[in-house]
Amino acid sequence: MSLLFAKRLPLLKPLLIATLVLSGLATSSQADDLALASNTVQSKMVKIYGAGGLKGLEAYQSGFLISGDGHILTVWSYVLDTDYITVVLDDGRKFEGKIVGADPRLEMAVLKIDSQELDHFSLSKSIVLQPGARILTISNLFGVATGNEPCSVLHGIVAATTSLNARRGAFKSPYQGPIYVLDAISNNPGAAGGALTDSYGNLAGLLGKELRNAQNGTWLNYALPIAQLTTAVEDIIAGRTRPRSFDETVNRPDNPHTLKSLGIRMVPDVLAKTPPFVDSITRKSVAEQKGIQPDDLILYLNNRRIDSLNTLVNEIALIDKIDDITVVIQRDNNLIDITLPGQ
Amino acid sequence: MIILPNQQLPLFKQFFLIAITTTVFCTLTKNSAAQDDLLAQEERALQQAVAQVAASVVQIEVLGGLETGNDGPVSGLAVSNDGFILSSAVNFPPAFTSILVSTPSGKRAAATLVSHDYNRNLVLLKVNTTEQYTTASPVPHAEVIVGQWSVALGKTYSREVVNQSLGIVSATNRIWGKAIQTDAKISPANYGGPLIDIQGRVYGILTPLSPRGQSPTDGTDWYDSGIGFAIPLIDILPHLDTLKAGNDLHSGLLGVSLKSGDIYDLPAEIVAVQPKSPARASGLQKGDTIIKVNDLVISRQAQLRHALGGQYAGNTITVSVKRGDQIVTVKVTLVEKLEPYEHPLLGVLPDRNFAEQGTQIRHVYVDSPAQQVKLQQGDIITHINSEAVADHNALRLVLSNFEPQDQLTLTYLRNNEPTTVSLELGSIPQQAPTISAHAAPSTAAPADTLATGLIDVKLPEEKNECVAIIPTNYRHDVPHALIVWLQAPGKPDNEELQTQWIALAEQYHAIVLAPQSADPARWNPSEVDFIRKTIDNVLSLYTIDRNRIVVHGQQAGGSMSYLVGFAHRDLIRGVAPLDVSLPARTAIKANDPGERLAFYVFDVKESKLVKASAAGVKRLTAAKYPVTTVQLNDKAGLSDSDRLQFLQWVDSLDRI
Repeated sequence: MSLLFAKRLPLLKPLLIATLVLSGLATSSQADDLALASNTVQSKMVKIYGAGGLKGLEAYQSGFLISGDGHILTVWSYVLDTDYITVVLDDGRKFEGKIVGADPRLEMAVLKIDSQELDHFSLSKSIVLQPGARILTISNLFGVATGNEPCSVLHGIVAATTSLNARRGAFKSPYQGPIYVLDAISNNPGAAGGALTDSYGNLAGLLGKELRNAQNGTWLNYALPIAQLTTAVEDIIAGRTRPRSFDETVNRPDNPHTLKSLGIRMVPDVLAKTPPFVDSITRKSVAEQKGIQPDDLILYLNNRRIDSLNTLVNEIALIDKIDDITVVIQRDNNLIDITLPGQ
Repeated sequence: MIILPNQQLPLFKQFFLIAITTTVFCTLTKNSAAQDDLLAQEERALQQAVAQVAASVVQIEVLGGLETGNDGPVSGLAVSNDGFILSSAVNFPPAFTSILVSTPSGKRAAATLVSHDYNRNLVLLKVNTTEQYTTASPVPHAEVIVGQWSVALGKTYSREVVNQSLGIVSATNRIWGKAIQTDAKISPANYGGPLIDIQGRVYGILTPLSPRGQSPTDGTDWYDSGIGFAIPLIDILPHLDTLKAGNDLHSGLLGVSLKSGDIYDLPAEIVAVQPKSPARASGLQKGDTIIKVNDLVISRQAQLRHALGGQYAGNTITVSVKRGDQIVTVKVTLVEKLEPYEHPLLGVLPDRNFAEQGTQIRHVYVDSPAQQVKLQQGDIITHINSEAVADHNALRLVLSNFEPQDQLTLTYLRNNEPTTVSLELGSIPQQAPTISAHAAPSTAAPADTLATGLIDVKLPEEKNECVAIIPTNYRHDVPHALIVWLQAPGKPDNEELQTQWIALAEQYHAIVLAPQSADPARWNPSEVDFIRKTIDNVLSLYTIDRNRIVVHGQQAGGSMSYLVGFAHRDLIRGVAPLDVSLPARTAIKANDPGERLAFYVFDVKESKLVKASAAGVKRLTAAKYPVTTVQLNDKAGLSDSDRLQFLQWVDSLDRI
């Protein structure tokens, strides 16, 4: 099934949506609002060109101005990994972009061009959106706009708000924080760094890089809420340093729990995804005291889903021996919560 | 907003007032701060609708099971207060260990899978909880109107808050009358969840569907594409008690074969009524044309599929047929499974050169019913059960209404003297008769300008290569057998192919067509369509006997031969796999009286595949397909005598 989800959406569709926003609803006055909104945001958008151009790696992305002096917010990506970053403004003027700073943990970078009195978004006036709210995304997806051509506008709604770290390994991204999931095919090549606004053009988010939902193989359309980025952006502009790298393994405890120390013996690991059934329990162990029994199926460990023996072993290795473990087990058709105390 | 004064004003004054109010109104809406505009009102209405149904949407976690690519939480809809949940079958991989469903208080509870609706790709779950779920009301059929707002809901990202996708109703009665279509984004993020209207009522349950197949994952390649489907809740509710009782729902089968060809063009004329089928029991007959099912008028075969597509086994339908000048109406109760149908054998091969009324016998099978009633070569079969039968194709179709052991009377001419005999039909034997090739017509060969020998078959839109071997004695007044050769992946040696086949192709009047995979390392299942195109191309140029089109393939090409055979039943009459087993996951389609299909399985001695191949043969035999198995001594392929035997089998496929 994962292969089935490999298909990308054709280019035509987002373009069609963009056209609809600008013309399809033109008979009502509400359409004027949308048109107005998309016009006022266009002057704040930039197209960014840099490294790439190889197979499957486009050499462009999007960004938007966040100060009158030419500060630009965009995503941190291989496109910026070059000495020559070209920034093209909405009016077609071309500038060389300098990286002021970046936060790889947030996958965000701030660029600067040498210009003044530019139309821009103000991060301090950014808004928070609720699920179901109408939205616009403005970006140069697929690089269709060049020179002074306006960026592509897509409309949709906020599908959900969720967190990229909700489940470990679900989304392969260094950014682990809240996101807006969008009901619009917004995150196609080149769209990263674009703006998410409400239907009145108020800034709400930064479109993220292309990301596949590792759990179901579908492509994720999402944006990072501006509130998540504000402090980091202010630090970068003020010249305060930001960490350059992020390593999840630093949190690994030196002395973790083990199945053995808990007194649990599992069934032999014979399949690719062996169901985590308890085989036997050591006499007088923590597991026995707390009532875990042979044939119990372990479903959750500290609220993390355990779908195989392998996952169980990996997850236990991340819990320090002094911490309690909460376990959800299935016994026949009942779910039972058990807490195993730390030592 | 417009306040009209009570007393009657002069006309011009009224106009003046309206003009002023209109101006004011427009100015107000131009102000983007106006929160009460239509857009905002609409957004609120949609959110109200979402909030209304949200409590009925549950998050489902399926643990364990085979890898499907979807490990994440999926969605469902509560349809009773005590915890019956509808969801899509795609969410449940084979051999899962546990199902957990979110409860109204936000906890998780274990659930069991109670039953399947195989026709509509849905499942019913029961949650083991004392908590009370809220349910949502369905949208009546008459109120589903194309263009209305629709919101697709799921609980993939959170157990508490629904994720939503906004769209409209794009169409109704899709997938043979089963589904509502929407342009909201339908994907694993909401499969199993509801599609709702702006009033907070449920149109249906979201599930992947495909017009081409009924396996749970068919249609998943259309995720987020602008085409998504929901099974109307109003259609499922009447069957909920059946599902709750643990009874699965299956597609209802009638048991008739229709004339093969374009289903959007041909009328639904019955060419064969399967013995022991509901159609047979209701009295439907060969030659009837179905013109009405329940209230639906049927003028083409596609409409019949539409009328039957959503019918469950056990449903009773009213069928009207045109029989001669009469219109006959019967009631038929559809069934889940038809008894596998087996083609009977009279035991003759027809003379293909015979151009008069009837079927002239070319050969009589040893120990066959035909031999028992002393039919001889040269006799002309004219009637079955006193009905005239025009030619051997018509005779074959008439016999498709019978099974082995059925009795009938047969009239034949010998020296212009008619004789009528009674006989009992037999079964098709494994072995083909070892007789010499069919004689060419006695008339002089007509002039032919077509190329012969090794030729290139190039389809302009395909990158695959394809060659064909045309016998040098090709003449267009002789119907030729067509052998489609799908070689094992690797570099093709067309010269050797020609050396192997040309002599026998000339002797047996056969054309060998060799389409090649685009990637020399592998066959791709989607190349089934390309293979079909090459066959159609040859059919348009050369004279091919429709009774003798055979797909023959080695190893991966052999797997393809099974795929092509089952995918193109209207065309393929034989499948001859070499050194490969029937893929275990291949769904064997039921044997169809009207679309004959026979198998000739080559096993290689001491190959690891022999056991798996035997298992496949067993499945085919159980489905009542005629299967011939042969053992090859050499992995390298067919010897000349193997090839000769194979061609004799191909030659016998127009047996009656």
